[in-house]
Amino acid sequence: MDDGTSQYYFTASMDSGKTLYNLLKSIQFQECAVFCAMNEGLKLTVEEGKCVQASAYIPADNFTEYHVRDDVDVLFKINISVLTECLNIFGANEDSSLKMYYRCEGSPLLLVLQPQSMINVMTDCEIATQIADSILELRDEDVPEVAKLVLKASAFMGLLGDLERSCDTIEINLSPEHPNVSIITYGMQDRSCIDVPKSSDMVQSFSCKQAIRLKYQLYHLRLIMKALAISSKVVLRSSSNGLLLIQLKLEKEDQRQMFTEFFILPLLDD
Amino acid sequence: MKFRAVMVDPGPMRELTHIVNTISKLSKECVLRLSDDKIYFIVSEDNSGPTPPVLWCEISQSNFFSEYQMIGIDEDHKDIYLGIVSASLAKSLVTLKTAKMLKIKLTKKQCPCLTLDIEMPSSISQQTRQVSHDIPVVVVPRKLWGEFNEPKIPQPDISIELPPLKQLRNTIDRMKTMSSDIIISASAEGRLTLQIKTDTAKVSTRFRGLNVESFEGPIDHSDSETESQTCEDISKICSCRIDAKKFSMFLNAEQISHNRTLCHIIHKRLVVLQLHTKENVDFQCFIMGIVY
Repeated sequence: MDDGTSQYYFTASMDSGKTLYNLLKSIQFQECAVFCAMNEGLKLTVEEGKCVQASAYIPADNFTEYHVRDDVDVLFKINISVLTECLNIFGANEDSSLKMYYRCEGSPLLLVLQPQSMINVMTDCEIATQIADSILELRDEDVPEVAKLVLKASAFMGLLGDLERSCDTIEINLSPEHPNVSIITYGMQDRSCIDVPKSSDMVQSFSCKQAIRLKYQLYHLRLIMKALAISSKVVLRSSSNGLLLIQLKLEKEDQRQMFTEFFILPLLDD
Repeated sequence: MKFRAVMVDPGPMRELTHIVNTISKLSKECVLRLSDDKIYFIVSEDNSGPTPPVLWCEISQSNFFSEYQMIGIDEDHKDIYLGIVSASLAKSLVTLKTAKMLKIKLTKKQCPCLTLDIEMPSSISQQTRQVSHDIPVVVVPRKLWGEFNEPKIPQPDISIELPPLKQLRNTIDRMKTMSSDIIISASAEGRLTLQIKTDTAKVSTRFRGLNVESFEGPIDHSDSETESQTCEDISKICSCRIDAKKFSMFLNAEQISHNRTLCHIIHKRLVVLQLHTKENVDFQCFIMGIVY
């Protein structure tokens, strides 16, 4: 097989596709994703109306075999809902091993899946690929980071779940003074506020250089809920231009890690 | 016309519940045909013409009922055909799983009814509770009986054992979200392939090592678009394109405890899915092939 696969742009295999499925499912709020295989790992990126950018990142050490050709770019657009359906082809209760092949530009992404508990069954998938759309470059090294928060994912999920659903906007105030974090939502007739001082159990680390007031669409922030549900740790970083970066870490049983990352653009003050 | 039957064994009671439940998911209405030695559940599509019914389920009465009496219309028409809303029957039978006894009668209330008397054990005392359901039925007139005749199926090109239905169902349900129809193919070597093709994806799941009950080859592929796969004799492969939803609906039958399941394929025309239970029930679904 070795001589056969070396001409492929990208090949990878893993023993259990379940975590990958859950990870992709958590950023699947759009039909299509940009699939990018780099030497260090695999990254899939989804954008919501140029306001939210979500990526799933799987470091190469999660794969039992991972190979990207050095002389080419492995970058294409793929239907992420089809990809997740294919990863889940044997149903939610069945974990399966996974192999991925991508021969060259324009060729489909091939998946071969085999359930762990059953022999005599296998699935081949050919998923069409398209030329990737350009994605926003939101990371800007020149803009200073103002605040960084490390929280327990489950507690933060509880907090987001408690927020009034009918509200459109959420305001996050960060400050070096007490109460370090306060989250405010504005409804039709009410205003509710949750304060999280840095001494709180859910806060693992807090740093903030200057007070900052940020406004986002609550719906955008809610997009991270699925990722929160499978992650253990969440890092919120805010830059002076209001851009919010949320990084989530998922720890697997085998000590390996996978990540999701959300960039959320702020609402402008009216 | 008279009908009265009594059921006391928990095994058949459970099985009947599952069968009726499965039927209620397949169709709103079904026809219950009662004859001397068998009862039948039949689901047919409206205006189906000469096509086979959607479902044909045959239950031999002696395995299910401890008492069974019936009198048809007259000497020449010994059977009774009743049209019934399958969901109401299914709802009434929910309690049957834990019942001690079931009596079924054909009664005349304001309209003809199938009366079910279910005797339930009480968890706190020795006394039992009596639950009674009257389910309205329509007596099917004799001139329409012909629509519910036993389906005449041509000799299948292949009859192959199905993999565990639960497993099959998981896969079909995933495929169903991506495509409205599925190509099912079976080879004389015991391989069953489920395949979908859409603009965005081509997915095929293969099950190997299944028993082939019978094979009437070779299959003529001269007019088809079947892609010949490497090193495989396509004259030994038989396939049919069918509606994914209908296939998935049959797989609800997974809840009926079964001994074996078979898939009969008539190349490009018809797929018959058949399930046999411990109590000798024969449950068959007919899915017509789709031809583009």
